[in-house]
Amino acid sequence: MAEKWQVKDHESEKRLVNRRLVVAGMFVGLLFIALFSQMIYLQVLRYDYFAARSDDNRLHSQYVPPTRGLIFDRNGEILADNQPIFNLTVVRELVDDMDASLETVASLIDLSEDDVEQFRSRLSRRYVPHSSVLLRYKLNEEEMARIAVAQHRLPGFSIEAQLVRHYPLESLTAHTVGYVSEINRAELDGMDEMQRENYGGTNHIGKSGIERTYENLLHGQVGYETVEKNNRGQVMRVLDRTDPVAGRNISLHLDARLQIAAEQALGDYRGAVVAMDPETGGILAMVSKPGFDPNLFVTGISNKDFNRLITDKVNTPLFDRTTNPYPPGSTLKPFIGLGGLQTKFVDYEFAIEDPGYFRLPGVRYRWNDYTFRTAIGGGHGHTDLKKAIYQSCDTFFYDLGNRMGIDTMHDFLSQFGFGQNLALDIPYARTGVLPSREWKMASRGEPWYQGDTISSSIGQGYMWVTPLQLATAISILANEGKVVRPRLLKAIEGEAFEPAEETRLPPLVLDDPGYWDYIEDAMTEVVHRPFNKTFRDYGTAYEAIAQIDPDMTYRMAGKSGTAQVVSIDQSITKSGDIDVADIHKDHGLFVSFAPARHPTVKPKIALAVFVENGEHGSSVAGPIAKQVTDTYLLDILNLDLEVPEEPELDSDMSLISKND
Amino acid sequence: MINQDFTRQLVDHAGPARTEFSLWRLLRIDPPLFLALLLLSGYGLLVLYSASGENLAEVKRQSMALAMAFGVMLVVAQFSAHFYRRWAPTLYAAGIGLLIVVLFIGVEANGARSWLDLPGLPSFQPSEVMKFVVPMLLAWYLGSRPLPPRFKHLFWTGAMILLPAGLIITQNDTGTAIMVTMSGVFLVLLAGVSWRLVLWGGFAALLASPAWFLFLAQEHQKNRILTFFDPYRDPTGAGYNIIQSQIAIGSGGVYGKGWLNGAQSQLDFIPESNTDFILAVLAEEFGLLGVLVLILLYLFVLIRGFHITYYASDMFSRLLAGSITLTFFFYVFVNMAMVSGIMPVIGLPLPLMSRGGTSILTLFIGFGLLMSISASGRRPVA
Repeated sequence: MAEKWQVKDHESEKRLVNRRLVVAGMFVGLLFIALFSQMIYLQVLRYDYFAARSDDNRLHSQYVPPTRGLIFDRNGEILADNQPIFNLTVVRELVDDMDASLETVASLIDLSEDDVEQFRSRLSRRYVPHSSVLLRYKLNEEEMARIAVAQHRLPGFSIEAQLVRHYPLESLTAHTVGYVSEINRAELDGMDEMQRENYGGTNHIGKSGIERTYENLLHGQVGYETVEKNNRGQVMRVLDRTDPVAGRNISLHLDARLQIAAEQALGDYRGAVVAMDPETGGILAMVSKPGFDPNLFVTGISNKDFNRLITDKVNTPLFDRTTNPYPPGSTLKPFIGLGGLQTKFVDYEFAIEDPGYFRLPGVRYRWNDYTFRTAIGGGHGHTDLKKAIYQSCDTFFYDLGNRMGIDTMHDFLSQFGFGQNLALDIPYARTGVLPSREWKMASRGEPWYQGDTISSSIGQGYMWVTPLQLATAISILANEGKVVRPRLLKAIEGEAFEPAEETRLPPLVLDDPGYWDYIEDAMTEVVHRPFNKTFRDYGTAYEAIAQIDPDMTYRMAGKSGTAQVVSIDQSITKSGDIDVADIHKDHGLFVSFAPARHPTVKPKIALAVFVENGEHGSSVAGPIAKQVTDTYLLDILNLDLEVPEEPELDSDMSLISKND
Repeated sequence: MINQDFTRQLVDHAGPARTEFSLWRLLRIDPPLFLALLLLSGYGLLVLYSASGENLAEVKRQSMALAMAFGVMLVVAQFSAHFYRRWAPTLYAAGIGLLIVVLFIGVEANGARSWLDLPGLPSFQPSEVMKFVVPMLLAWYLGSRPLPPRFKHLFWTGAMILLPAGLIITQNDTGTAIMVTMSGVFLVLLAGVSWRLVLWGGFAALLASPAWFLFLAQEHQKNRILTFFDPYRDPTGAGYNIIQSQIAIGSGGVYGKGWLNGAQSQLDFIPESNTDFILAVLAEEFGLLGVLVLILLYLFVLIRGFHITYYASDMFSRLLAGSITLTFFFYVFVNMAMVSGIMPVIGLPLPLMSRGGTSILTLFIGFGLLMSISASGRRPVA
């Protein structure tokens, strides 16, 4: 052994090592060949597959949402526009641990459970890979800074600017203009394939009011772009783009100034004001009070705010009082009176001797004149139709209604739009009830009783009318029969919008056009007939309107109404938050148009004012109507309505001077 | 001129002296190896510029590291092979000493506690040094003993390898430990250890591997192996690197997407694109042709290494040069195999291409030794 390793054969050892070297070289060659084969496999044989995978990786087709059309009032005042906000969004694929990341975010900014819950429902709603999903709306500057600083700990989270709807008049237009809010599952399911495609990049959809009615005009057409994204989902380049088509800008008949005036005129009352241009049916103001801030809904209303809105059973801010029905009370009398004239149940000479109550022949029950139920009692005495209107004599109308019968009454009143929704673009407006025999049988399964007719004839009982319907009916009255349909849309992209020919309704033609003037007279007396020596011979609204403003330059035709509160939700009366006596009070109503009986100027504004628990139509709703009318005629239209000195007075004067 | 060159070469092969290349001889530089290394470094910088997202500072830093490494290579080449043989045991002892020092005052970086931060010296990894010190010692030890080595010598050789390897594993730097071990194993293979022993060794390793997997492997190591067999078991986690890297390579096609135009690289889909996965960037942007060029350049370096080994003047030089060459190949192969998906992911850089100072320095010390051996070697004789 020892001998063996002493001997060192350099040449044979060298050959041994060099042989090994050759073996190693062969190994090296073989392994390189294997490596190169793998490269050929990847780069040649499977090139198509990997090229496609690479494109999938980086190329993303995404929607470009169109900008929503703006909404203006008739003077170009903005009612709804789009404002940039900054949102926190998440690309799901890039988040390692969603729960942990959400916790981190919650430690940085105010992130409510609500936000997280809504975020999770958005995640489940629809899923486009590598798309960003909204986590929280409206980051303020400090929150943006906090997120930016912690960005490295939050892969997949980013701050994105977005245009969202903004309603500068806030609660003032909440019901009429409505609001947009996030599209929900049901709305998506209700769309057809093309619509869903069009809403691919859109988060919001019109939920109520004009925003909903004209969703198609306002939304626009979605665009597309193919972008290249890096592995963090950031867009590096836009490779191809089809621009979206922005939604159309629309103008409404609404006048923001009048809207504000109407809201202010209502003061602390709950109620509604609908003002209409009788010429066109264009709605000048449509206020339901109290309103709510529609901006809350745009960026996802919090549960707390929403609960506050829906649990307020007294103020019911979400409830649109302009399009929901109430008993019209005495505001219906001019229409029934007109019907009496047209159907010849009364004429100008007809009069009753009013004892203060009405009694059907052979029936002991007395229908009292509610106008005087708390006052001194007794009746109006000798009463013709005109006095029955300006004094609001129930007995006269009990008698008239009883004689006309419900069928005649129903047929005549339906020509004013009662019991139906004449509005062209307020599809959600309720129709109310214009009762008839058929209606009662169909809805209640009961026959019509004579007593039903009697209460209907003073706008009580089954009569249910919305303020919008009242304003429409008053417009038709002011137009002397020309039927207009209420509408809000005035222009699209500045181009005047005229409703289609076939939406026009035939005018209401009476046997004698003088009937119109007679009723207009009677309604003018309601406002302007002063106190005089004759017992109960003044207009019911004189004290509240004309007497207060002796310098009134125009005349107003009006009619007050008081509607009984029918029933009240037990939960409200028991709640104790409110003086129960208050919500048992009657509702006050007032309808009017002006200027009335003007030699040159046609009526410019038809009004319906509804004051919830206002108790009296004339004293509460009347002044509101006056204030709104003043604003429109004098401040907005700036009309000179002063009627020049009566000509006959002039001639008298000249006569006197001649006699002298 | 051409004719003259030709005759000159003929003379070269015939005669012993080669005075014509006096400058190279003087500098103890092997011109073909030097040229190949320059080309590879240049290629590497080109790819790095793209992989780093056109970060010029990154490329400058790498150029500086390369320039320094070339300098170190030249310095190393100035000493004769005899010098290294004489100092091998001392260097080894010093290396082991430093590894022990690291055990106590080592500084941690990237999960491995392998750095030494001594005052007055730039911080360095003693474990890196062992990559050439271990083959140096083994070449010294086995080169002076009869070959093929006796079992007794093999035993001591094993101990010489396992001592530093074990110390390095305790620093939690498995990659370096493997490289140190492999450089030793290659040397032993070259030294002519019997094939029967090699087969038995391979067989034993095969038997041991399931046990290793079940009992010894750490979680991330297991993961890497499972991922190798099925990258899609966790496509966004453990499998992400290899999937994205294969997409990059495959989508490069034959001609590539062009320099700076690799979508996968430029959009950051390739992780570690500057370091371990730089081959994916190259393959995506320069295609199969680019990969072929790279492989040919590597092959040229290897052939030159084999050439130097073949003509080494003594057994120490022969064994050392062979080990260095094969270790270099091992680096190249393992990295390319892992990036293209024919081996599990092991965190090894691609020599001369990947960014990183320390590994380059070690590499060039190796090339310096090759040049030293080349300069002291015999002239090839036809």
